[in-house]
Amino acid sequence: MKTSGRIQPSAQEREQSFAPAPSRIPGFLARYSSALFLLLVVGLEAGVVQFVIRDLHSANTEVQRMYAGSVQGLRRIGGLQYDAQETRRATLYALTTNDSNLQVEYADQTRDADKRVTAGISQYLQQAELARELEAGRRLQTDWTSYLSVRNEVLASILEGSTKEAVARDLSQGVPSFDRVRQDLEEIKRLYDARASEQLADVAELASRSVTRLFGVLLCTLFLASVFVWVLQRNKMASTLQLARMQMDFVASVSHELRTPLAVLCSAADNLADGVVTGKEQLAKYSSVIRNQSRQINGLVNEVILFTSTQNGKGRYVLRPLQPALLIQSALDSTSELINRAGFTLEKRIDPDLPLVMGDASALSQCLQNLITNALKYGARSRWISVQAHRAESKDRHRHEVRISVHDRGTGIDRTDLPRIFEPFYRSPAAVAGQIHGAGLGLPIAKSLAEAMGGGLSVRTELGVGSVFTLHLPAVDGHESKEIQEERPAQI
Amino acid sequence: MIPRTAALVLLLAAAVFSQRAVGRVEPTSPKESKPQGSLAVVVNQSNPINELSLAELRTVFLGGRTHWPNGRRITLVMMEPGQPERDAVLKEVCRMDESDFRRHFLQGLLTGEVLVSPKTLATPVGVRKFVFNVPGAIGYLRPSDVDDSVKVIRIDGRLPSDEGYELRLREAAE
Repeated sequence: MKTSGRIQPSAQEREQSFAPAPSRIPGFLARYSSALFLLLVVGLEAGVVQFVIRDLHSANTEVQRMYAGSVQGLRRIGGLQYDAQETRRATLYALTTNDSNLQVEYADQTRDADKRVTAGISQYLQQAELARELEAGRRLQTDWTSYLSVRNEVLASILEGSTKEAVARDLSQGVPSFDRVRQDLEEIKRLYDARASEQLADVAELASRSVTRLFGVLLCTLFLASVFVWVLQRNKMASTLQLARMQMDFVASVSHELRTPLAVLCSAADNLADGVVTGKEQLAKYSSVIRNQSRQINGLVNEVILFTSTQNGKGRYVLRPLQPALLIQSALDSTSELINRAGFTLEKRIDPDLPLVMGDASALSQCLQNLITNALKYGARSRWISVQAHRAESKDRHRHEVRISVHDRGTGIDRTDLPRIFEPFYRSPAAVAGQIHGAGLGLPIAKSLAEAMGGGLSVRTELGVGSVFTLHLPAVDGHESKEIQEERPAQI
Repeated sequence: MIPRTAALVLLLAAAVFSQRAVGRVEPTSPKESKPQGSLAVVVNQSNPINELSLAELRTVFLGGRTHWPNGRRITLVMMEPGQPERDAVLKEVCRMDESDFRRHFLQGLLTGEVLVSPKTLATPVGVRKFVFNVPGAIGYLRPSDVDDSVKVIRIDGRLPSDEGYELRLREAAE
């Protein structure tokens, strides 16, 4: 067994390794990009709309609060003014009668009114926020207390019957005191109006800001919708272009692959028809040529049909526990003629006691055959291939898997080609230049089959050294495996 | 002089007429009535006076004293004629009947000995409110009608709830 040419997992190799499994995520993103983008746009819009709604709600609440505050404030100031007048009015009413009972009644009225005013001033002082409001409130409180003291004296004089004295006191002290109270109330009202105007300006600004935001949201919506439509159209266009390119690749590849054998067949048929072929030996040679070319065409057609069935998901697989060694042997048996005819040395290294794997025997055999055929095509330089199998931990480290790898010592794959080798109909420039026949379907089919079995396909390659294609197949659990082995695993 | 004389004659005539209209109220002898409850003498809370003798109280109620020590003019508050409280005060304090009391004040006003006639109120609540509003007012109330808005003063050192308190209501004997 030669080991010098084996591909070791060097840094460069790791750089050039390519596993198809992670490509599922970009593939998924690419497939559902429109829906994801729409979801993103809707999410963004929902967020912005929620923000605007909250803003509008806030503005509305502020307006309501301001309105309620204005109404209550005006009512309070109006109430204060009315009760202050009522205090004075009731006092003066007491002057209009000599009936002590009525005078006492008026005294009651004026005292009730003054209590309301005193309470109103206290409430105003509690709710005042600005320094000038507090100052005005305190001034009113002082002036009101001063007026009440005069009022009490006037009231006492009236009740005593000293009307003249009451009038004189009211004119000299009561009127000026009450005027000061009235001025204080006017000042408070003026301050309140000024504050209401400021609040109104704030609310107007808030409303203006809300409108701007709403306008911004509309613009944003329009922009995002445009971007969404653009992306949608671009994706659609890209899909169409990709489809067209695939169709072109398919036609070109199939035409190319069909043309040579068909040309050979035509030429052979012409020679036979023209009687050029004479003798038993020549006839046998022509028959062999026709058979080989026909098989090549048949193989190509079968490959195309297989690819189609793996791509549209119409493939029906019967998943059963399989012994990897038997699986490998089945694939080698099917390709032994090719290996021998090409003059390749086959090295087989299969670990004993490999766990069973779950899969469709026919599909996995086909997958391995494709990998072996691929190695034969591209490993012609050293005419050596190796098929190896061992047990390993899966990438998520939760389960075990069986890795079946096909090694060759060919030219390797260029780094730029590596991401595309699993694309249908893709043929690397090196393969085309080297006139290596193929439709570019072998690896895509192998990949699709591996994934359909719940496994995967990865590649490690190094230019000038060779390539290793590894089929990853999930192992059946120990307990499960035991049960299955007791039931006798399927034979290939 | 003539108008003043005429006014005096008119006032006297009015007093006589009102006396007839109301009916003469005879003082009730102690033998004919029995004690029913005490009567509190109340003043404004700002009044510095806390106690008066019965004699001083009589002077005040008859208009013989016009000002309190703090300079406030004394204003007497009475209930309307016919009320038991007024009768009790006339009898126990003024020692007069209704007509004598009226006559006393008419004469006092005419002679200038009395400056202000008593204020008459219909209800105890009115009396209380009047006393509350007028710093120099003095009146009387049943203890049940008294609240914190007015001040009860001692008479001869006693409060209405004390033993030996002299100012008492009396109900007519059967």
